[in-house]
Amino acid sequence: MSDLDKAIAQLRACRPIPEAQVRELCHKARELLIEEGNVVTVTAPVTICGDIHGQFHDLMELFRVGGDVPDTNYLFMGDFVDRGFYSLESFLLLLCLKVRYPDRMTLIRGNHESRQITTVYGFYDECLRKYGSANVWRYCCDVFDYLALGAIVLGASNTLAPASDSSPTAAQEYIDEDTEIEVCNSDGAIISRFPRQRNQQAGSASALAQQQQQRHKSPNGNAGSSSPASTSSSVGASSAATAATSHNGSATGKTGPPGSGASGSSGGSVGNPAGAVLCVHGGLSPLIDTVDKIRLLDRKQEVPHEGAMCDLLWSDPDEIDGWGLSPRGAGFLFGADIVKHFNHRNDLSLIARAHQLVMEGFKEMFDASIVTVWSAPNYCYRCGNVAALLELSEDGSGLGAFARSNGDVNRSDGGVPEKNSVLMEGPARRYRVFQAAPQDSRGMPAKKPVADYFL
Amino acid sequence: MAAGIAPSLEILDGREPHTFEEPKKRINNEHDMERFKWTQGFSGIGQFISQLNRALCPRSAPAKADGANPPTTASKDEQPASSAPDASSSSSMLPPSAPDLSKRLKKTESGPIETFTLHSTRQDPQSVKQLQALLEKLGSFIDEAPPNKEPRRFGNSSFRIWHRLLEERADGLLREFLPQGVVDFPHTGDVGALVELRAYFLGSFGSATRLDYGTGHELSFLAFLGCLWKLGGFKDETAGRGGDIERSIVFGVFEPYLNLMRKLILTYTLEPAGSHGVWGLDDHFFLPYIFGSAQLTRPITDDASEPMPQEGSVRGAPKPDAVCKADRVEVYRATNMYFSAIGFINDVKKGPFWEHSPVLYNVSGIKDGWGKINKGMIKMFLAEVLGKFPVVQHFPFGSLFAWEADPAAPESVRQSATTSAAGSAGSAAQSGHMPMVGTQAPWATAAPQGVWACPRGVSTQMPGSMPRQVVRPAPPGPNPLPDVARRGGNA
Repeated sequence: MSDLDKAIAQLRACRPIPEAQVRELCHKARELLIEEGNVVTVTAPVTICGDIHGQFHDLMELFRVGGDVPDTNYLFMGDFVDRGFYSLESFLLLLCLKVRYPDRMTLIRGNHESRQITTVYGFYDECLRKYGSANVWRYCCDVFDYLALGAIVLGASNTLAPASDSSPTAAQEYIDEDTEIEVCNSDGAIISRFPRQRNQQAGSASALAQQQQQRHKSPNGNAGSSSPASTSSSVGASSAATAATSHNGSATGKTGPPGSGASGSSGGSVGNPAGAVLCVHGGLSPLIDTVDKIRLLDRKQEVPHEGAMCDLLWSDPDEIDGWGLSPRGAGFLFGADIVKHFNHRNDLSLIARAHQLVMEGFKEMFDASIVTVWSAPNYCYRCGNVAALLELSEDGSGLGAFARSNGDVNRSDGGVPEKNSVLMEGPARRYRVFQAAPQDSRGMPAKKPVADYFL
Repeated sequence: MAAGIAPSLEILDGREPHTFEEPKKRINNEHDMERFKWTQGFSGIGQFISQLNRALCPRSAPAKADGANPPTTASKDEQPASSAPDASSSSSMLPPSAPDLSKRLKKTESGPIETFTLHSTRQDPQSVKQLQALLEKLGSFIDEAPPNKEPRRFGNSSFRIWHRLLEERADGLLREFLPQGVVDFPHTGDVGALVELRAYFLGSFGSATRLDYGTGHELSFLAFLGCLWKLGGFKDETAGRGGDIERSIVFGVFEPYLNLMRKLILTYTLEPAGSHGVWGLDDHFFLPYIFGSAQLTRPITDDASEPMPQEGSVRGAPKPDAVCKADRVEVYRATNMYFSAIGFINDVKKGPFWEHSPVLYNVSGIKDGWGKINKGMIKMFLAEVLGKFPVVQHFPFGSLFAWEADPAAPESVRQSATTSAAGSAGSAAQSGHMPMVGTQAPWATAAPQGVWACPRGVSTQMPGSMPRQVVRPAPPGPNPLPDVARRGGNA
């Protein structure tokens, strides 16, 4: 067993590795990451994950639900550290796995992978407490500077591969070519499926969705009451139809796949045919109109307070037109028009991002042109949310996203994009929703070091 | 009798017209933080907290000739189960009540000891009852702003409706529920007392923009009560026994305020401003940990020259590690503010206590009793609340909590403080929100309206430039909190 494997085993047991080993690991990781571009190219199949925030036991649950490394190809969209109790163990484990299986593990930078933010939100305190000095924090921050800013997923299929679990439910179900979205629970049982809506008429779409909704239960036990679509199902056909209509109709009333408990619009993709998927922690920047411009940034530095690099890690989508000021004090808010234009221009079918807590674990917005994936269940021990990961299948037909590059290659844009010129689909998406790890998987209480104030 | 001697916030002479000022933001950068520590406003906050803190401390009978030994000393007197009031808790819903406790304690050799709990019998004066009614009224606004059921991220946007009702009705409510003498406090110029009161009042209930709540808001409510104190809002009641009115303020107003906030937090899922996650003391609150630990310290006498105990617990107090046991917390939360705060944490958090609240867990290991915890909490408050730019940057300064230099400040500081006060032009008061968190950019100091965007405990300095663990717990200067003894002695 190599030292690295030993370190992985130790970290999997939620035990920190010695400082010297951390230094060595961080050094190796930097050598590896320095070779990566600002935008890493990842080939499907891939499992995309959002914020972790030091929730180590929930990360273990994520691996249980999504499959282990290297069997599953993972892409983590940042925010590994801060707020949780085990930022150190979580980040170091991911980093070990990155070094051990570089092609099966992609880590991109979140806004918390920063010196200034970790000093404020806990990771610094944690390192100090666990090692008695800030050295390990420093090593980790040096790695943060080398993390990629985004990733492009190519070769994702328009149809879902059969779920790879042994779950009887999953095995029995046959994968319809028409399935665009599938939502599974943590045991792999299918909670709901949504066919592609080639017909953009709201009526038929909602009728289909309605059937789905009645057939399937909410993925997370308590989500039913928070979603108007699912509450209405018990009331009767007419009110249910109203709810479903509003789901496709009004901007404010958008709900996710009805019955999935998720919020978000899924009224069929209007993305480009066979487009790639851009993964980034926060979102878009007014300074970035093409993916290639991301590639030109000088990323090997502390996250700046403003500018393109900052925006990519800090921005949020919002129900606005154009750009808006972010209440976070960094990055921007951006609306559906911005996303659709960006996706069109860059041959993207979807942007996957993290950065915002969503109660149902994932949330598709703007006609499924952007999705938020959140992977920290019961965030901060109290938020009551479920977590999700997003699986994109490999395209075996050769007709999928692989054929097209991102960027402007072979493209005659020629002016304002026509919205309905081609209505081809984004990749088929399987969301696996999971809850916080059971408490009995937790360790024993640590000692009680006395804080300075109480000496 | 001793009430006049212990340091306390001054009460203005209601016969003299006072010049009120619309409270304004004065802390605009890190540099201003140093000045802040020398301002009258800073001293006032400190005086008020230590005044309230002291009143909550258990009392022993005035020292007799042979009573030199305090009834309890330090760690070793954590009580055996037989004398701990929670011994019978398993079978009883009733919290240990103060009268029972003191009755039993009267039998001890050291003479009678009185403890003060949330359940102690109090004669709340009219002013306190009115404030309770005010808080109740605010709670009833929830019915008018029911949380919406739409899909949402986290914070419920209906809180904005609640907050709008608060803003719209603030003047009317203050006129209705505050003592007439406060509302009509004689003044020169156009600005009346309500202008100052309103700024702190509106800043007390979380941020409508960010849908969050934290220690900055809590501080604002404390300042609101401080303003009432200075304007003589509790003056008529100070005639009673020393400390009675302070205890009424804490148990009769501040705890109901905390309960209202807890209700608002649960109703609208207000985001924790305690952005440190598990690495902060508490997601939302700080002061109950000060007040609650004071309730359990080694007793003092009413002699104002006696310093606050720096260690030791009152007989019968639960051991500090009781906070780790949910069933013990349930017993004590009804009587003690520290346990009440932890009870709320247990209500909203899932998971092992040591994991989701490691700071409180560590404090529970302290061997020197609640006096030590009380002292530490005050130090921590100075550093982590009053010492943090993002928390206090929007604290507005008017005439009651003034930016002018404290008379104790060195000449150089007084000079520069005055200059800065004259030159600064912010106006946090207009919106009344205090700085709070989600995940905000710590550097976002001059953010657009409504962007209070700053996490508790952030400072704009880069890590590495200064070891964070060495935060000055007790800044130099007229630091009223830990130095109660000195001040009291001099007074």
